[in-house]
Amino acid sequence: MEKSVATLDNGAICSSWNYCGQRLATGMIDGTIAIYDTSDPASSTFTSTFKFKVSEGSIVKAVWVPPEYGDAVACICSNGSLSIWEEIAEGTQCVFLGVQLYLLLYIHKPIMNLSPLSPLDSEPVQWKQRKTFAGSSNQVLDAQFGNSHPSLKLTVAYSNGLVKVYEILDQMDLKNWQLQAEFQNVTDSITKFGNTSCLSASISWNPQRSDTCSASFLLGLNSDTPQLNSPKVWEFDQDHQRWLPVAELADTDDKGDQVYSVAWAPNIGRPFELMAVASVKSISIWQMASDPDFDGRLSVQKVATFPSHNNQVWQMEWDMSGMTLATTGSDGNVRLWQSNLNGVWHEQAVIETAT
Amino acid sequence: MPGLLTGSGDSSALVPFSPEANTPAVYPLHHGLKPPIAPRLSISWSSGNSIRVSVFRSPETTKTTDGEAEVGGKVVELKVSGEDVVSEVNDAARWRRIVYGSVSPFAHLQNKKNAMAALSELRHSAPSEVEWSKYVLEYSKEINSLLGNRKSSPSPLIEDPKTVLKNDEEPSCLKAAWELLEIFYANKQSHSWIPEQLVDWLTDYDSLFTGQVPAVHSRLVEFQTKLINIQTVENEAAYWQAISSALSIGWLDISVKLLRLHGSYQLNQLGSRETENGLVEAVAVLISKMPRMRVDLPDGKLGECYYNKSDFMKAWEKWRAQITKLDCSAYWLQCSHNQTKENLKNLLQIMLGNTTTLTNATCHWLELYIAHFLYIRPFTSGLESMHVLAQKCMQLKPTSSPHKLMNLIVGILGENTEVVLAECSKSFGPWMIAHATELLTAGSIQAEILLKEQRDNLGGVSIEESHRLVYAQVLSSHALTWQIAPIYLISCMKHGVGLLEILLYKQPVYHSQILLKNIEICRLYDLDSASANAMKIAGVHDWKHGRKGSGIFWLQQAGDELRLNRIAQTLFDFVGKSISDESFEQWEGLIELMGSESRTAGGLEFLHKYRDFKKSLQQVEGGGVTDAARKTCESLILIMKNPSTPQRFWLPLMYDSLKLLTWREGPLLNVSQTNLLLNKLQELSVAKLRPDFIKVELPAHALNSVMLALATNLGRAILEE
Amino acid sequence: MATETLKQFHRLPQSTYIDALRFLPPLSAFDRYVVVAAFNSDTDESAIGIHALNPTDAPTLTLQSSFTTSSRISSLKVAQKSLQSPLIAASTFAGSLHILFPNPIDASFESEVSIPEKMLHLGPISSLDLQESGSACVSVGEDGRVNLISVSDSGLDYRRVFDSKGLVSYTAARWASPTEFATGGLGNSLQWWDQRRPGGPVSQFKGNWGEGASCGVVHSIDIHPSRKHTCLAGGSYGSVFAWDLRRPQQPIILSGIGSGETQTLSSSDVWEVQFDTFMTTSIISSERVLPVMMCSEDGILAVIKQGEEATEILAENCAINSFDIDRHNPADVICSLEWESIAILTRT
Repeated sequence: MEKSVATLDNGAICSSWNYCGQRLATGMIDGTIAIYDTSDPASSTFTSTFKFKVSEGSIVKAVWVPPEYGDAVACICSNGSLSIWEEIAEGTQCVFLGVQLYLLLYIHKPIMNLSPLSPLDSEPVQWKQRKTFAGSSNQVLDAQFGNSHPSLKLTVAYSNGLVKVYEILDQMDLKNWQLQAEFQNVTDSITKFGNTSCLSASISWNPQRSDTCSASFLLGLNSDTPQLNSPKVWEFDQDHQRWLPVAELADTDDKGDQVYSVAWAPNIGRPFELMAVASVKSISIWQMASDPDFDGRLSVQKVATFPSHNNQVWQMEWDMSGMTLATTGSDGNVRLWQSNLNGVWHEQAVIETAT
Repeated sequence: MPGLLTGSGDSSALVPFSPEANTPAVYPLHHGLKPPIAPRLSISWSSGNSIRVSVFRSPETTKTTDGEAEVGGKVVELKVSGEDVVSEVNDAARWRRIVYGSVSPFAHLQNKKNAMAALSELRHSAPSEVEWSKYVLEYSKEINSLLGNRKSSPSPLIEDPKTVLKNDEEPSCLKAAWELLEIFYANKQSHSWIPEQLVDWLTDYDSLFTGQVPAVHSRLVEFQTKLINIQTVENEAAYWQAISSALSIGWLDISVKLLRLHGSYQLNQLGSRETENGLVEAVAVLISKMPRMRVDLPDGKLGECYYNKSDFMKAWEKWRAQITKLDCSAYWLQCSHNQTKENLKNLLQIMLGNTTTLTNATCHWLELYIAHFLYIRPFTSGLESMHVLAQKCMQLKPTSSPHKLMNLIVGILGENTEVVLAECSKSFGPWMIAHATELLTAGSIQAEILLKEQRDNLGGVSIEESHRLVYAQVLSSHALTWQIAPIYLISCMKHGVGLLEILLYKQPVYHSQILLKNIEICRLYDLDSASANAMKIAGVHDWKHGRKGSGIFWLQQAGDELRLNRIAQTLFDFVGKSISDESFEQWEGLIELMGSESRTAGGLEFLHKYRDFKKSLQQVEGGGVTDAARKTCESLILIMKNPSTPQRFWLPLMYDSLKLLTWREGPLLNVSQTNLLLNKLQELSVAKLRPDFIKVELPAHALNSVMLALATNLGRAILEE
Repeated sequence: MATETLKQFHRLPQSTYIDALRFLPPLSAFDRYVVVAAFNSDTDESAIGIHALNPTDAPTLTLQSSFTTSSRISSLKVAQKSLQSPLIAASTFAGSLHILFPNPIDASFESEVSIPEKMLHLGPISSLDLQESGSACVSVGEDGRVNLISVSDSGLDYRRVFDSKGLVSYTAARWASPTEFATGGLGNSLQWWDQRRPGGPVSQFKGNWGEGASCGVVHSIDIHPSRKHTCLAGGSYGSVFAWDLRRPQQPIILSGIGSGETQTLSSSDVWEVQFDTFMTTSIISSERVLPVMMCSEDGILAVIKQGEEATEILAENCAINSFDIDRHNPADVICSLEWESIAILTRT
């Protein structure tokens, strides 16, 4: 059963749903973002409610900020910039105190001049730019938020092969970010690769929002430096305040393969983590132990490989239980992958776009 | 949904057959966009098992000539499993009615299970099997009743003698399947009645086979349409075929009714065809007297019931003897109508259990199987012998494309739980399997082990749990059923709560009705942190969308000190700037809003103290007496001593209190108090050097004035002491 | 807990989610009609429908006419101007407000006037109430606005009475008299407004926010015409309490957590409260709160009498979202159940 939920404006080239699937942000070729909403949560008909211009170039990717931090979208543009836009009521920070406290006074003192009701009252909620991560000649390829305790983190991958992790300084304000770490996607921290050119990057945070487990994400690159490509799991070492690679998801022969996409599955109670990797050769599914061995490494095991057949996979998404993986790529189809009761992964369904 | 089937040849496999799962199902996606379509799609799972696919038109074609704003893309939502049952039930609203209705029997049974387990633990004894099967049967009957009314068996209507079959409510395969499971697994008390139960079952559901395999039901329907145009029925082969078919599967009423349409009953013919009529009637009487091994028959049904096996045996022998006697009767010679004679004799052969006749009379193997129970082996019992018999019938009447109900029966008879599970899951969807496992596990120990054993392949859960998780996901994908999912998830010991937390997290809690639902579910299942998180999300949303009061309220309910402190900080910033204004009343309300001291953060506690201090200071300034001023001074000292007072307020506080420090009537602060304040000033001057020092906007002379005042006060205090 | 015997009880499955329902004041002597605000999740359509209630042994609801709205209904009220046909007021989650005039002969919608979204409130209208006379409406929202809408032959006219600019959110509203009304909000707070004294509420009851679990949101308010000084409120965690304007700081807790000696009928949200006009025997002393009917998230429909044991009428498996007592025949009650059905019951 299929149902059309939204009709997008001309020029739409990318889209992203928020955490609950109730808001859609679409990026346009002219650098605007259009937001789609429903009037109530049970409805599934989405209509355009906001539009704002982010960049002169086109939008490449939109990523929603976790809901604990407000309604905001990080936009990656074709010029390589990254900016965070937030939906916020006018004056939350300053005007609020001037104007609204004035009114608050009258809640306790019921004498006031009634302002006549004007139908022209402006919509107070607006989308505003909160932060831009631009500047350098290096382009932003991917950016993902990690909703880990105690504060919001943002991993940004650049075209020179560098990865930066930013941390929010103020829980209630998306303006202030602090650079927490900067590194390359290599297992030994000594080697540094200069002059790297990276075409695409894929970051996937551990979706677990637990207060106890440390922040970690998975990163794979599509670059001309083989050592950087293989997907690695990075974990934040709280004691030493640094990021460490704790696992590598590639067989010895495949370590240099360009990686198009990675996806860390939600874990509802499995004793291991599940991750998907799409490389130039195949889609593979990995299990990673939840607890480290004595080297501090997390043992990994590849549980399935599906040859890509020249299908370049661009996006992979796990469902909310981590039981089904959806992938889409250059063949224009959506494929669903599942494990059967015997633990054997297989292609369960394919969604073909009819013309 | 995890499929059960796997590739053949894998010895460790649970189900060593059918490699069917290797071919993926194909869902076409109709988006209705004009080409060219950009190859890049965008996908996103929404709650449960619905996936949203964004399809974009190639942006190169944006410049359109017709000037009209063209559609640039479509987002299409697809539900990728769980739709099997909807198509089976064929009406989304009716399907939801089944979903709603099955909640309470399921929950009730789980409660009983838990209560029994607790009780047996208390008594150190195994829970009572008998009691449990009683509950399971109750459960099964309740679920069964949701799936529709039991179709009353085809019965002749008095009004129209030519209507053989009554057009009842369309029976559903889902109900048929559930009843099969009930017969074999839930209804343990009546295991010896299984053959007769199957006879009834086929009576109700034979029509379901129509379309896929030939069936007696369809044969009768076909004959009925012809019947109106037939003058002399007994000359038609179809007439006799209809009778023998109906008789072979025990539709006695229909057989008798059809027989009585025989031409010899017509008044004008009675004279000339007396013997013939007698024979027809004799057969009809024999049919209606058929002994049945069962408790009772529905009203108006033909046949005679025997509860006791030996009574039945006697009656059965007697009945057969009568048939044989009639078969050998001399009257046949006097019957001139050849077709009547032969076909009546054929009917006798059916009643006598002639395999060839039965095979010819029935349409598919299941019907032949039923015929066997009726006429050849009424005492068949035990699944093994039933299975052997079924296999024999399948050989006699092979089917190229077996119906899903046939597959299910084969699985049940073969005592192969895996096959039963696979059939349930493949043909009837997640609802069926999530609810049927209770019947299966009640049915056999082997099934219980299979279903409840924890499996590493499944991430540590049992098959039963994995099916419940899948069903919960189906529920989660609909706005009206997601709130039912927790009931199923909470019965999942291992992964249920994990999935429930994700499900709750994925709800749009900034809609207040969803937030309240979320809080209620969390309250029921003690999910305090999930509830706090939902309130936190709602609070941040409200705060940032101009609903300050609501924002603070929910953040307080969430106990989010971090964010409340941050909000308090915003207030500090404001307060710090205009400390010496009269405007403190303006933010007083918001402090009020943020609640009392007891529960909130240190920052807020300070704000309250500060408010009280400011109030008393104002009174003093309004021309106060010394006593009031002294009290105010005491509260100043208390605030200054309090560690929760932010450093940046130290100077403003003292500056505000200049009047107190230079009280005309005499020093209000004693030596140690004055020293305390001086020490604070000292600390401030050190802190100024630190980078995180927050500068307060005060008149340039503020510090000097305070120092001077303190020095003066100190001098006066020393003098006084 | 006492349970009341019902003369009749029927559950009528619908194929839509029932957001709200009301008995319509009789259009003629013989017909009985029910107004139902329904949401069809299959087609994403919301509509207000008038159903003829056929009160036989097996009652049926037959749709007479239907009015489609752009969004789901958040609040539904009916009123009758004296000697005139009744009118229906409804507010939506999108923020629009609709006044419908049913035709007294065939129960079709004769005309409709409305105020579009974003005019009255930012975001949803959380509650609305229609004056007994049908001449004015009050609407409140989480945005902190309080609006008065006057209904006249020439159409709708509206003005903003108050705007807290989001500092206070309102979740319930109810008229007390042609000039006074009450509102409710977060933290179990209640406000009393008098149009003759504009500028803000004339009296307030503030639940203590600091008390954590026992403090929630007011979902519904009722005021009895004979006792205008008492404001009845139902809200989170099963709380039902009466607020007497004459003793504004001492609410009378009728049910709920932390109510001390009083009972707790439910620990879930109380979605609707109404004074129960179905009087049995005793005359209620003026000191006592009149009997109250309430419905809750955990499926309870009950009548509470102060100082007596509560009477549970229904205990359903799903939430009872709203109910209505037939004013002209108070033995009859209808309620909307979460699982897409309507329950009709007659008390003895």
